[in-house]
Amino acid sequence: MSQNPLIRFEQVTKVYRKGALETQALRGLDLSVQSGEFVALWGPSGSGKTTALNLVGALDVPTTGKVYIEGTDLGSLSRAQLSQLRRDRIGFVFQAYNLIPVLSAYENAEAVMVLQGVPAAQRRERVMGLLKDVGLEGMEHRRPYELSGGQQQRVAIARAIAANPAVVLADEPTANVDSETAEKLLAIMAGLNRERGVTFVFSTHDPRVMKYARRLVGLIDGKVATDVVKEAGA
Amino acid sequence: MNLLQLASLAWRNLWRQRRRTLLTLSSIAFGGFLAVMFTALEDLSFADFINTAARLGSGHVAMQHPEYHDTPTLTRSLTDTTAKVALAGADPATSHTVERTVGQTMVATANDSFGALFIAYDPAKETADTFAFTDSIAEGKLFASPDDKGIILGEVLAKNLDAQLGDKVVFTMTDRNGEIVTGMERLVGTVHSGAPSLDAGLCLLPIGTVRKLVGYAPDEATQVAVFLKDGRDAPKVAGRLTGSVGPDVAVLTWDQIQPEIRSFIAAKIGGTIVMEVIIALLVAAGIFNTIFMSVMERSREFGIMLALGYTARQLFVLVMLESTFLAGMGLASAVAITAWPYSWAAEHGIDLTQVYAEQGLNTMEISGVGMSPIMRIGIYPENAVIIAVAIVLATITAGIYPAWKAGRVNPVESINLA
Repeated sequence: MSQNPLIRFEQVTKVYRKGALETQALRGLDLSVQSGEFVALWGPSGSGKTTALNLVGALDVPTTGKVYIEGTDLGSLSRAQLSQLRRDRIGFVFQAYNLIPVLSAYENAEAVMVLQGVPAAQRRERVMGLLKDVGLEGMEHRRPYELSGGQQQRVAIARAIAANPAVVLADEPTANVDSETAEKLLAIMAGLNRERGVTFVFSTHDPRVMKYARRLVGLIDGKVATDVVKEAGA
Repeated sequence: MNLLQLASLAWRNLWRQRRRTLLTLSSIAFGGFLAVMFTALEDLSFADFINTAARLGSGHVAMQHPEYHDTPTLTRSLTDTTAKVALAGADPATSHTVERTVGQTMVATANDSFGALFIAYDPAKETADTFAFTDSIAEGKLFASPDDKGIILGEVLAKNLDAQLGDKVVFTMTDRNGEIVTGMERLVGTVHSGAPSLDAGLCLLPIGTVRKLVGYAPDEATQVAVFLKDGRDAPKVAGRLTGSVGPDVAVLTWDQIQPEIRSFIAAKIGGTIVMEVIIALLVAAGIFNTIFMSVMERSREFGIMLALGYTARQLFVLVMLESTFLAGMGLASAVAITAWPYSWAAEHGIDLTQVYAEQGLNTMEISGVGMSPIMRIGIYPENAVIIAVAIVLATITAGIYPAWKAGRVNPVESINLA
C-alpha cells in the first residue's frame, strides 16, 4: 500500500436512527483504496456496502471516524466544498441509472463537465469519444426513455467518467440489467480502468462483478471481513 | 453552469408534465382575466360615475365660501369669480371652469308648490362636458344666454306641479342678505336626468336672472366648478388651488362635497379587492401546489443532481426559473384570453337592463346620480400593470419554498441508497 491512498476509511461507524430504532451499518470500518484500483465491496444485505459508498461519495457523514479522499478529511469540508468535490473528483453509477430525463444521452454525459465550465468544444470531443467507447455512437440525441436499461447504464458510465474523476463509485450497477448486458457493462468499466486508469469501487452481490474486480473486499456486519487482491491475470 | 443552461433545463422540465403545466397556465390566465375584468368594470364605471356626479353637481373640484358646504345659503357667496375661473383654468389638469349659483328654492304654480334645488348657470359657457342637464332635455329647450327668460324643471317636478310648457312658475329664495325674494318665469323646458330624486326636485335658471334677483354682482356666485381631464387628479388640483386662493375660499374635491358617493365607491372597491385577493390566493395556492408537487416528485432527481455536483443554490435557481417561466407564460395566457372579451366589452358595454328590470328598476340612482344600465369597461394602465406584476410576483413567490426544498433534498434518502 502506498502512503497516500486515494480513499481511506479510519475507524468509521455509521448508525441510522428511525425513531427509537437504531441500525448500525458500519462498525469501525478501516479500508484504503489506491488510485487505479478496481475494487468490489461485496457482502450480504445490511453489511454496509452502500453506506460505505455514500460516505466516500460525500453524500452522507459518518457517525464517528473519518473518511479521506486524496488525503482530505471529508468532515472538514463545507457543503459547497463537498458539492465541488462530488463534481470534480467523484463519479457515480447508480443501480437505477438515474439519468436526467429531460436531457439527451449526450447532454447527460456532459452534465458534470457543464457544471465544471468545460468549454463546449472540449466537452463535445470528450463525450463523443466516451459514447463511442461505451457503444452508444449515433444514439447521442436519444432521451433516456428512448434507451434500453443497458443503454441508459452506459450513458451513466460515460457521465461518471466524463469529467475525469478520481474515483467512480458504482452501486450495484448490474442489478437492473440482463446477464449479457451486465457482462458488456463490466467489460466496458474494466476497459476504462485498464486503459484510462479510472479507479472503480463497486458495491455488489453480483458474482460477475467479482469476476472482473481485481480486489475483493468482503464486508460483514459493517466491518472488513476479507480483503483479497487477485493475482494479475486471475 | 450558467444561467442560460439552467434556463434551458428549467424550460424542458416545465414540459415534462405538459397537461399539468397547461392546467396551471390556465388557472393563472383565468385569475388574470377575472382580475382585469373586475378592475376594468370598476375603473371606467366609477370614472363615469364620478364624472357624471361632477357634471350634475359642482365639478371635480369646487371653490366656494368656507361656510357654504355646511350651510349652503346664498348669503355665503364667492366674489371676484372671474379671476378665480381664470386661476383654476390655468391649471394644466383642468379642462373646464365655470361659475354657478346653487341653492334652495320653493317653486309654485297655480296648482301646487314644492321645494327644490336650483342651479343657476351660464348657458353660454356650459356644455355637456360640464353640465349633465344640457343633454338631458326632455321637453322644450335650454336657455340661450345668462339673461335669458324662463325656468326649466325636472320632469317629475313639472308633473307634480302640473306645469306645462309656457305656464307661469313662481320661485322663492333668499337673497344675499337673507331676505326672501320672489321671481316668476314661464316654463320653457323639462329635464330627465335619470336620477328620480333630481327629476323630482330640480329647477334650472339662467345665472344672470338669479344674480339680479338675489343682488349678486356680475362676478359673484356661490361656487366655481372646476372640471378635470382626469378626476383622479382632484386632490392635487385642490391642493394647488388652495395654495393660490388663500383661506377665504374653500377648495373642495368632489368626494368632500359628496362624501356619500366616495363611501359608495370605497365600499364597492373594497369588496372587489377582497374578491380579487381571494382569487389571487386561490390561484397562488394552485400554483404553489403544482410547483411543490413537481419538486416532490423529482426529489430523487434532485438527489442525483446533488450527487453529480449541482449545488443547492443551482437547484434553487432551477426551480425559480421554472416558476418564472410559468409566470411569464401565465401572463401571456392571461393577456391572450382577456384581450377579446375585454375589447368587446369595452366597445359594446355590458347591458344590465335585464338585471335592473328584475329589481323593478328602470335606472339605478346612487346619491342622486343615475347609473347607466350599460356598464362600460376600461382599465387604468397603472392598474393593468399592477395586475400583471401581481400575477408574476404571486407565481414566482409560490416557487420560493419548493425551490428551497429542492436544494435541501437528502441525496441518500431521495436516491434510496441506504
